[in-house]
Amino acid sequence: MPITILSPSAAIPPQHAPPDDEDIPMADDDDSAFLSTAQPSSKNIVTPGETITSDPQWMRGHGTYIPPNTSTIISTVAGTLHKTNKLLSVQPLRARYQPEIGDLVIGRIVSVQTKKWSVDIAAPTLASLPLSSINLPGGILRRRTAVDELNIRTFFSEGDLLVAEVQQLHNDGNAALHTRSLKYGKLRNGVFTALAGAGGGIMSRRGGVVRSKRQTFTLQTAAGEIGVVLGVNGYIFVSKHVAPAEARDVSITRLEEGVSETLYSSQNDEVEPGLRREIARVSTLVRGLVACGAKVDEDMIVRVYEAAVEMEEEERVMGEKVFGVGEGAKGVVRSVLDRLAVG
Amino acid sequence: MAPSQHVQVNLSPAELSYLRSSLAQSPPIRLDHTKGPKDFRSMRAEYDVLPGANGSARIALDDGLEALVGVKAEVEKSQRSPRVDEQEHRLTVAAGDMDMQDADDDDTKAKGQNAWVEMSVEIPGFRDEDALPVFLASMLTESLLASGGLKDRLYINRRFHWKLYIDILLLSPALSYPLALLSMTTHLALLTSRLPALKSEKDEDPLFDDDWDASVPLYPKSKGKTKGTQAMDRPPVIVLAMAVDQNIIFDPCKEELAVADAVLAVACTDSTSSPSGAQVIAIRTIDPPSHLTPLGVPNAMNSATGGVVPASTADAITQRELLASSDVWTPPRGGMKRALVGQIVKAVVEKGGVAEEVIQALQSIDVG
Repeated sequence: MPITILSPSAAIPPQHAPPDDEDIPMADDDDSAFLSTAQPSSKNIVTPGETITSDPQWMRGHGTYIPPNTSTIISTVAGTLHKTNKLLSVQPLRARYQPEIGDLVIGRIVSVQTKKWSVDIAAPTLASLPLSSINLPGGILRRRTAVDELNIRTFFSEGDLLVAEVQQLHNDGNAALHTRSLKYGKLRNGVFTALAGAGGGIMSRRGGVVRSKRQTFTLQTAAGEIGVVLGVNGYIFVSKHVAPAEARDVSITRLEEGVSETLYSSQNDEVEPGLRREIARVSTLVRGLVACGAKVDEDMIVRVYEAAVEMEEEERVMGEKVFGVGEGAKGVVRSVLDRLAVG
Repeated sequence: MAPSQHVQVNLSPAELSYLRSSLAQSPPIRLDHTKGPKDFRSMRAEYDVLPGANGSARIALDDGLEALVGVKAEVEKSQRSPRVDEQEHRLTVAAGDMDMQDADDDDTKAKGQNAWVEMSVEIPGFRDEDALPVFLASMLTESLLASGGLKDRLYINRRFHWKLYIDILLLSPALSYPLALLSMTTHLALLTSRLPALKSEKDEDPLFDDDWDASVPLYPKSKGKTKGTQAMDRPPVIVLAMAVDQNIIFDPCKEELAVADAVLAVACTDSTSSPSGAQVIAIRTIDPPSHLTPLGVPNAMNSATGGVVPASTADAITQRELLASSDVWTPPRGGMKRALVGQIVKAVVEKGGVAEEVIQALQSIDVG
């Protein structure tokens, strides 16, 4: 069945319960203070410029604004209204990723300048990666020379994908990245997926990548190990896991020498068809998870992946359909989530 | 060759090479694991969305591409000609290759003009005169007018005709090549378009039945066994197919298009007259964006990976040609093999082929 056409439906609500730390109703809630007719709850959607309340007893939080010489609180974003005691905040429906120091992000080089790269990390502005913040091949103690500046494109050129850490935030919101660790660097041997509008921060409550202890992990599959990098900015890279070079008796200052051979390679290793299939499956499942409004973290991916493989095996043996038909990734993930909820 | 969209795909050479070798596997591994080579992206469709239009449809793909089509018909005065025989002469000139011999027998045969159908395609981020919208509009118009059945049905009498305005709107940015989606949406809109029933006779000023229930569909439902020749009339549909190595992949997404060897747009309509599945109306090749992708640098030529940078450009070209490694991305060169074109066309038009499936799927929305 090559084509499936479905009738339009309303968007499905997020499937996980809201965290407990919000929406604690106050005993003396005065709902009549709100101009909107509906009960102020997490279901309440406001639009930019909409007056939320003119009662001076409320305090403004994120996503709100009080014009000078008034006490009216006005929403600045389109989103759901939240109350925490006397604090009013609006959680945007869609937001771009706001970089924070220490975030592990995946970026794509947009332009190459004289001593730095501009990197797209799904933030409102492009991040910069200075030449001085990368590991140069040939050891950590090597000095950056004029030759390196001339050869800047041999490290990263336009379109290249890299995993980096946010090192610094400038006043204007621009982020500066660094790749001065063996975990970071150029990405290859796999597929890239961008989860639109599902960056970290406040958005992570609504599905998408959540900040967690481990953003990089390996997944055991029948065909081999898969490396998954979950960028906090909603960019995800699923690739063949390449075991780090054997920890020989290298001193800490010579750590880079072992990997420098392939650190800036733009050539893929041999990836077996079976492993390619599993990589495609994982990235499809991740996209399906976001379409279902679920959050994406290591635990979730591992559980959903294992259940999906199990269900496919069942389908093959029993010869009956277990997946939602014709809805692609979303249908598969929804049936997997249903199974997990039951089991 | 048709122009590709000017929005460049910004993928790294490593990604391009990985994608291409995945798609070249047998069976191909697509980006969406749940889809086979002939599977379309799942979509949601509805029709009669615009109350003021004679027919309208909206189709949204799961990846965010969304199109809206409105069909509006207006009565227009045909250009007057003083005498009947002269008019026939003029029509022959205007209609070009049309066969005028049976004009006297059938009132509405071959009296339509191409100018009676006006199509406009609007894509966010593109100006009206940009290559992409202009090409899309001409490709869609061309296939629509090819059968001649539609424009003949726009004929009211010698003095008046319907003028059909088809407005095609892409609601989302052009994420992938939107031709197939626009064509399917137009198909659905035309299929569900209705014109008011005519009450006046012959060459009177046209007077219409104001009861919308009495209106007649623009594409009359085929009764099946009435007349073999008349039954064939449904709007055409355009199917996008791409070739990677020996594999043929239908309905490619943006990333998959970026590694295509060649892309083919096949316009077809279903034919009940012939025993085979569908009829090809037009074929166009589309310049794949893969031709403009950057070259991958092999490790042996990269100073950052321990290689030696070639001394001259000529040297670099020689080394690259000698390098028979498929792990390094090299943009595809040349066109499409004849045998591959044949395979694609066969997969589209054969009995139970892709075209038939698409037309039937769109038809079943209308029925259900």
